[in-house]
Amino acid sequence: MTPKGIIEIKNVTFYRADRAIFKNLSCTISTGKITAIMGASGSGKTTLLRLIGGQLQPDEGQVFLFGQDVALLNTLHLNQLRSRMGVLFQSGALFTDLSVFDNVAFPLREHLNLSADDLYNRVLLKLEAVGLRGARDLMPSQLSGGMARRVALARAVAIEPELILYDEPFAGQDPIAMAVLQRLIKHINAQMQLTSVLVSHDITEAFAISDEVILLGHSGVLAQGSPDELKASEDPAVKQFIHGEADGVIPFHFAAPPLQEELRGLNHD
Amino acid sequence: MINVIADIGSIALGKLIRMGEALLMLLQAIVVKPKLSSISRLIQQLYIVGVQSLVIILVSALFIGMVLGLQGYTLLSAYGSEQAVGQMVALTLVRELSPVVAALLFAGRAGSALTAEIGLMKATEQLASLEMFGVDPLHRIVAPRFWAGMISLPLLVAIFSLVGIYGGYLVAVDWLGVYGGSYWGNMQQAVDFNEDVLNGMVKAVVFAFLISWTALYQGYSCIPTSQGISAATTRTVVYSSLAILGFDFILTALMFGGTI
Repeated sequence: MTPKGIIEIKNVTFYRADRAIFKNLSCTISTGKITAIMGASGSGKTTLLRLIGGQLQPDEGQVFLFGQDVALLNTLHLNQLRSRMGVLFQSGALFTDLSVFDNVAFPLREHLNLSADDLYNRVLLKLEAVGLRGARDLMPSQLSGGMARRVALARAVAIEPELILYDEPFAGQDPIAMAVLQRLIKHINAQMQLTSVLVSHDITEAFAISDEVILLGHSGVLAQGSPDELKASEDPAVKQFIHGEADGVIPFHFAAPPLQEELRGLNHD
Repeated sequence: MINVIADIGSIALGKLIRMGEALLMLLQAIVVKPKLSSISRLIQQLYIVGVQSLVIILVSALFIGMVLGLQGYTLLSAYGSEQAVGQMVALTLVRELSPVVAALLFAGRAGSALTAEIGLMKATEQLASLEMFGVDPLHRIVAPRFWAGMISLPLLVAIFSLVGIYGGYLVAVDWLGVYGGSYWGNMQQAVDFNEDVLNGMVKAVVFAFLISWTALYQGYSCIPTSQGISAATTRTVVYSSLAILGFDFILTALMFGGTI
């Protein structure tokens, strides 16, 4: 059967040591939209991103990317598939031995055979889009966290991919940088007509720019729908996540014996 | 008792699996059609791994040569054979001390740096980033560093021998008054190019392989945390040093064992 979306995840089970991160997880990410993957810490958001990118293999089930089963691809074909997508890592992951210009030029040099002038102009335009044209000669160590994230964004979109994966783009950003990133992601998605997948736990920011939200929890998908649908949901787990309540069906505490039993010097009788 | 045997078996199996992983990593990194663009990366690594190790090699070689000259003179002059100090210094250096000491210094200076660099690249997601750009980090990161190690160490060993011999000359000839013609003449007569110099270089190549392989695997497979990188860097220096000393005995036995 041909997969419906740009990414289709079918009955995926994934274990880390003995802990099941996903059990029989299935979901589809539609082409041309911004989809936010959300969930509590440890719900497997980044793991799902790595499964989509082929950096991890599921123990069971299939991950289809551009209609191809990622697990069945050899390194060459997987790399060809990856050249059609961009990734913004949580840390930015800029190459520390390359300047800002060379970082953005990196995917262009690897995948496109551009003339020196075309490459220069393309890099400058991407840096202009993120407001860092003037920082092209700086090294990553000279950038602030927010600037590094913006350079990484310029690098991720440099080859104008069909799909872009964002891993926690808003984490640790000041309000100005967060608002700029929000606008950039929305703008780039609309202008370049690509598909964006956003892993985040910042509800306000992610809901503001997403067309669709996939909420992870209990080793699977708790809910999937538009931000408005999720806000209106009566599902206790969805409500608990959106309103940030510690008590509810999503456990806040990692499994442990009762606190009274573990405290020392107390009379348990 | 059975549990003890099972535990030993499990540890041995774990080590064997890691050896297999390390070998596979190296093969995947170096068995590849070379590209023109990889030459510039190799040159950059030759500078970082080789040229930047020069100072420690030059200084150590000079002092070791001077100590050999002094010790050799003291020992040989008791038998009236101080004219043979040149041959003693040269043979000691080219057969043993140059490959072993240069390799130990190289493991401490360049090997640990390679492990820490790759470990940090892993921790800051630079390796994952390369992968997601469709670039194999083994080809891009591991291969040029491996070849830089393989080329640099034999050259550093040769430089070590030259500077060490000159250090011996400074002490024996310039300071203690051994006749310069005897220093060089006896050396030329006693040192055989194939038997001594080439065998010393074979040792250097083997040590270069051991250090580069260990350092790169430890960096590539480390746990990407500050503690993990620190432990991997320590393992690189310890494993490389032990491998150098162990293989030195094996190689010496194979090369010179027949003449004893």
